[in-house]
Amino acid sequence: MSDLQTKKPQWWKSKDVKITAALWVVLSVFIGVIGGIVNSRPMGQPASETMANTIHIMKLFTWVSAPVAGLVAAIAIKSLMQKMHFGDNPPAEADHQISDSPKATALWLIVSALLCLFALVFGMVVFQRDNNTLLDVHAADVNVTGQQWAWNFDYIDNGKFQSEDLYLPVNKPVHFHVTSLDVVHSFWIVQMGIKVDANPGYITETAVTPTKIGVYDLRCAELCGLLHAYMQKKVHVVSQQDYNNWVTSHGGTI
Amino acid sequence: MTTVMNHKSPTASHRPIMERLNVVTALVLGIALAVISYYLASKFLPENTEGSVMKTRHDQIILIAMFGWFIGFMTGIGALVAPVRWLMGKDLSHDENMYLAGKDAGTARYFRYTTDHKVVGIQYLVITMVIFGVGGILAMLIRTNLGHAEGGWLHPQAYNAVVGIHGIIMIVGTIIMITGPFGNFIMPIMIGARDMAFPRLNALSFWLIVAALAPILSSFFLGGITTGWSAYNPLATQSPGGMDGYIMFICIFAISTMVAGANITTTVVRMRAKGMTWTRTPIFIYGTVASVALALPAFPVFFLSQVMSAMDRAAGTTFYDTRGGGSGWLYENLFWLMGHPEVYVILIPAVAALMEMAPVFTRRPLFSFKIAVMGIAGICGLSILVWAHHMYVTGWAPLLNAPFMLTTELISIPTGMLFLVLVGTVWRGRLWMTVPTASIFALLLNFMIGGITGIYLSDVPADAALHGSMFVTAHFHYTLMGAGLTGAIAALIFWFPKMTGRMIDKQLSWISFWLVQIGFNVAFMGMFMVGLAGQPRRVEAYAELFTRGNQITTGAAFVIMTGMLVLLWAVIYSWRNGQKAPMNPWQSKTLEWSVPNPVPLENFETLPIVTSDPYGYGKAQS
Repeated sequence: MSDLQTKKPQWWKSKDVKITAALWVVLSVFIGVIGGIVNSRPMGQPASETMANTIHIMKLFTWVSAPVAGLVAAIAIKSLMQKMHFGDNPPAEADHQISDSPKATALWLIVSALLCLFALVFGMVVFQRDNNTLLDVHAADVNVTGQQWAWNFDYIDNGKFQSEDLYLPVNKPVHFHVTSLDVVHSFWIVQMGIKVDANPGYITETAVTPTKIGVYDLRCAELCGLLHAYMQKKVHVVSQQDYNNWVTSHGGTI
Repeated sequence: MTTVMNHKSPTASHRPIMERLNVVTALVLGIALAVISYYLASKFLPENTEGSVMKTRHDQIILIAMFGWFIGFMTGIGALVAPVRWLMGKDLSHDENMYLAGKDAGTARYFRYTTDHKVVGIQYLVITMVIFGVGGILAMLIRTNLGHAEGGWLHPQAYNAVVGIHGIIMIVGTIIMITGPFGNFIMPIMIGARDMAFPRLNALSFWLIVAALAPILSSFFLGGITTGWSAYNPLATQSPGGMDGYIMFICIFAISTMVAGANITTTVVRMRAKGMTWTRTPIFIYGTVASVALALPAFPVFFLSQVMSAMDRAAGTTFYDTRGGGSGWLYENLFWLMGHPEVYVILIPAVAALMEMAPVFTRRPLFSFKIAVMGIAGICGLSILVWAHHMYVTGWAPLLNAPFMLTTELISIPTGMLFLVLVGTVWRGRLWMTVPTASIFALLLNFMIGGITGIYLSDVPADAALHGSMFVTAHFHYTLMGAGLTGAIAALIFWFPKMTGRMIDKQLSWISFWLVQIGFNVAFMGMFMVGLAGQPRRVEAYAELFTRGNQITTGAAFVIMTGMLVLLWAVIYSWRNGQKAPMNPWQSKTLEWSVPNPVPLENFETLPIVTSDPYGYGKAQS
């Protein structure tokens, strides 16, 4: 790209440029595909739409970054393919003196700004969609209280009973009101992709709609002292029927 | 002291006090004052009243004793010599200034308050290596402990303490790793100056770091820093006395950084050689100045946050305690107001150092110097506006998440400019393959991975899934270690001949390079995987499914350790027995290579005049 400015009229016919362009295409696709797989595979099956969106957006960001990363990699690999010089004394100085190329830098700036803008707009849209759950008036409310080193859940919509276990009905939006009794904890349901800090003296909010029946992980994501590593729980997402049974068995009402 | 005196000096038995001060007197006086103030505080401080907040008296005693150490050490090293003189209405004489500069003083000058920037640079280099040594040992403790799912042989509290001290000591090590050794030794010569603008402040900034090390190391014995390096309140208020060590360490270190920042900035602005216009100033100088200038607004905030933390612990205030009207979010804001500029304080000089080396090893001009400067300036400007992206999920201000997401993602544009400059320079260049050259490519790879993972984290929904997980830990290790430390090691190898007068062993540094880079990429790729799968950071035990990823990381960590030990051996061996270096082994065109080895006391006999930019490679043929 940088020899846009050289006096050769047909710079794109140069062999170096052709090789680099080919490498660029191959590497960009490679980075996009591999990056997407490497990212999404460890994250597992999403248990909510929020998490599905997150996995989706990370794949998208990988593809957005892939052309830039691919170009850098292509140029780097092409330079490494040149004949190298080893030894204690420097090689002859380069036979050209390109120290700038306004066209190439302008192109680079415009492209990277556009990619950045795209990522930003897309991120905002998904962000907005996640926030909508927070406004859902039909959502069930659960008060979450963190303390060193346990979680407690108050089911305020179901007859105000307290439980040490988190049971959620499937496909029903739930709104968490999170606080802490001592230090900062962080309420994180891994497979649902939601997280919010539990701060003493404040109530923070997060919301999610579980979409799959199963057992998931709730972990504390903010160092909270001695047994931080053990401050975890299972989250049970069950059918509405099972949920009702569980609620009544704990003295709650439907 | 084995100082060689010039003929004007009094005989050894009548030497003035300032010539008797060195690191030994500093240690003696520091320890003595610490013990005395500990004793006095224990004796006279009132007992805790019944209803008082926890451990107030204990923290008061520790803080007072540490303050005693600080005053004693700085007095003992001779930091007060000149200020006392000013109080008496005089200044130091020329001979005394020459003594302070370490004229004819041999090795002894490295162990006292020496103002020569080259001595300070070497002192910084050694202290950086000591800090990395301690931090590295702690890192290996963490990794061995994480070799097993059900927690290792460290007690959870000890594990938390190890994590905390590893974090903060490595952060400090990386902050000083380039602007300390190379910003002090190389930078003044590179701009054609005889010394720094404020030589005594230069010595002060170094010895403050030494003074700061005692509190942080003593925290091992006071219960440790069990909060991670970020020391969030109210957990910090709850922590044992080691937290006071953290507070004292940060306060002293912040002063050191501010002093060094003012000094380096002034030197570059005022003392460049005749003819060295801003367009002829090497890019490394821009990187150094950007780094310290960014630290100038950042570290006072850090200082302040820790003073308030100390008051919460020792004076019963409630700045960060919601029960008393304070807020933990105040601490988080203050901390990240420092914390985000700080990562660029680390990163910018590392990238700039590699940009400085790229033209030398490709034998062609730096590509698009102006874009490089714009990139550095753009990162500096944006980096003070992004701090709350560390707080997306804290619940502090959900409405501000979108604007902070905007500023954070914008940073990718100036960062991209730095990439453009590097790839533009290596493009079609004839590569002179040395460890610094290979480091450019290593930086491109590591910084690219660190950068792209940073884009995920800048996105609010993705951050909700990834925040507080090992993914974040791997991300910032990729930027600070994969990019930052790679640049610093390349800088060490590049400037080693000028700083020590000897070439660093080629074979050993190549072995070290490959071990560190391969080990690094394997280790932190494993960490990305477990982070994505949901392992929180700072845990001493984890679920069974993370076992494989953690074992990969632990195994590769030992490879990194081996590589680092090889590098340490290469440095020690070459410093003592290495092949003598010629004046300009890399045939570079910057000014620091135009002075002989060892560099004379005032660098230049006659000050140079600069007539062209330092990257005029390849122009002879055209």
